[in-house]
Amino acid sequence: MRLRRILALAMTGAMVLSAAAVTANAEETTDITLWTYPVGNWGDSAAVDGLIASFEEAHPEIHVSVEYLDYTNGDDQVNTAIEGGEAPDVILEGPERLVANWGAKGVMVDLSDLWTDEAKEAIYDSVEAACQNNDGVFYEYPLCMTAHTMAVNRDLFEAADALQYLDEETHTWTTEGFINAVQALYDYGQENVAAVFCGGQGGDQGTRALVNNLYGGTFTDAEHTKYTADSPENIKALELLAGMDGINFDASIVGGDEINLFVNGTLAMAFCWNVAQEKTNADLVDFDILPMAFPTESGDPQLCGGIWGFGVFDNGDEARIEAAKTFIDFMANDETQVVEAVKVSSYWPVKDLGNIYEGDDLMTEYAAFVQYLGDYYQVVPGWAEARTAWWNMLQQIGSGTDVTTAVAEFSETANAAAAQ
Amino acid sequence: MSRALVRRETVSGYLFMLPCLIFFLGFVIYPMVQCIVTSFFDSTMNRDDIFIGLGNYAELFQDKIFLGALRNTVIIVIVSVPVVCIFSLWVSSVLYDLSGPLCSLFRCVFYLPVVTGSVAVTVVWKWMFNNYYGIFNYLGKNAGLIDKNINWLGDERFALGCIILILLTTSVGQPIVLYVSALGNVDQALVEAAEVDGATRLQVFWKIKWPQIKPTTLYILVITTINSFQCFALIQLLTSGGPNHSTDTIMYYIYYNAFKLYRYGYGNAMGVVLAIIIAVLSAIQFKASKSD
Repeated sequence: MRLRRILALAMTGAMVLSAAAVTANAEETTDITLWTYPVGNWGDSAAVDGLIASFEEAHPEIHVSVEYLDYTNGDDQVNTAIEGGEAPDVILEGPERLVANWGAKGVMVDLSDLWTDEAKEAIYDSVEAACQNNDGVFYEYPLCMTAHTMAVNRDLFEAADALQYLDEETHTWTTEGFINAVQALYDYGQENVAAVFCGGQGGDQGTRALVNNLYGGTFTDAEHTKYTADSPENIKALELLAGMDGINFDASIVGGDEINLFVNGTLAMAFCWNVAQEKTNADLVDFDILPMAFPTESGDPQLCGGIWGFGVFDNGDEARIEAAKTFIDFMANDETQVVEAVKVSSYWPVKDLGNIYEGDDLMTEYAAFVQYLGDYYQVVPGWAEARTAWWNMLQQIGSGTDVTTAVAEFSETANAAAAQ
Repeated sequence: MSRALVRRETVSGYLFMLPCLIFFLGFVIYPMVQCIVTSFFDSTMNRDDIFIGLGNYAELFQDKIFLGALRNTVIIVIVSVPVVCIFSLWVSSVLYDLSGPLCSLFRCVFYLPVVTGSVAVTVVWKWMFNNYYGIFNYLGKNAGLIDKNINWLGDERFALGCIILILLTTSVGQPIVLYVSALGNVDQALVEAAEVDGATRLQVFWKIKWPQIKPTTLYILVITTINSFQCFALIQLLTSGGPNHSTDTIMYYIYYNAFKLYRYGYGNAMGVVLAIIIAVLSAIQFKASKSD
């Protein structure tokens, strides 16, 4: 009897102690949620799980749950979550969402404390500028970047004797070279040399970069307060494109369709391209792809870039905010982890980490374009409306509307949205 | 029946209805009321709504894109509703005269686009209309009808027509099935009597069959009108309203304003206007049907 009593007492004690241990453990652990857009393999749980495991090993006091978004429904999911007070703690995306959208709406945490002097010195200036709003408040801490390029069908260029108009070594060409190359391809019998795709906003950075680079125009002013697409340089570029044989303003396709048409050999050039496209389509292409910077008169291309990093939603819980910052600091600043985190994105680091893709010829070739990364203007106010107005404007030009008239209408719409 | 029994049955009736009623109130009535209320506000994300009275409605009727979308929607309705009704009635009349298995086969064929996912249907049509290698351009050029490729979905002269054509193919399935059933319910004694009296096929149809299938026609008219007014997926997947807003519809413009620009109040005002238009048209259709 006594033995049974002692046993019962011991078991009760064990249960109480284990319950207390669980409670104590629960008190010590902070749960945070990470929502990630598919930035390279950041949309793939197999890749992200390893990163999370490393973090949780280094910081057992923080537990991270991950949810994967896509670009079709992701914005709606995030906006619904914000409206319902269920926003994630950390999110991985670019400044056009973190700074210009959610940051501007006041739902993000100021990450200035992560931007130490050391960080500011290490991270490229163009990236630093993109991660803050006009008042200098940082809503993003960057992880990786890429430069969007264009690409040409090298076999076709060679057959049309058009390789002479570009520099294969530096991947650059002049506006005059571009004009001559398009003409040479057209004369060779390539009816569809390229398409200024304008069926929607998909891949629209390609058409903006093309127009802006040809004669040195810009999409916004340097302060990102006003749209400048109606500048004489941009009008000249649009008039050039509208009048060129072999270049169609095509309202039935978007960037993704253009890539398919390039990959299957229908088009000789793609204006919407980057290293991810080359990797994804490697098995489908039966010709040599030559990635190129956009043609310029000055020889100094300004490429549109993608900058991706972390933002923290202000959920009003200091412990979770601190845990979120710890997570960001580990992913983006820990010497070993940052390399792995960037590699998962398949892009390049936002600071000099040496060649993290040593031995990978393709990544090393595309790394040459990062030096051409231009102004990250996507943080300008009224961005959503301006994007739509841009492809609508291209559609108008494709239908024969006078370029100056179409551009003036675009500027009026976009600047009205920026002023709101 | 005693009053107590009546009361008990009434209470049980309401209890049985309650789950459905709660669902209906929560997910149909409440959003409708909320939509109407929000339409009087300047409502967007993460900011308190600002009451602006009829401001959204005033803006609507000065918004050229909305008026263009309204015009396009009306064109879609005017073309698709009569065509769907007449075509499906004709097809079902032919099918009804076919033998059993053949009739079932064709019913399945015409119903297939209805049960196929709209995305899959749209992708196939997009391929057929493709500017560079679509089958329509291929056939047109080989038949000598066109000398160079037509950008069907990228040319404002053709884009809306293409949308209507696709809408027709996805809309006729259900009316055909309904009409075949309705024709099966026509009193054959009357048909045979009329035929014995020397009535022509047209007279038999117009005097005997048509009055009996009128309720089905009314249902098809109302449903097709509502579906045509709510044309959205095709536009979203094929043209995004372009080129030059030539395929914008009210539903697409509502989506664009509410979920791209986050102008909830403005989007809701459009929703209210669309609901009023549909309600008025449906009432007219009911009235016209009764006055016959």
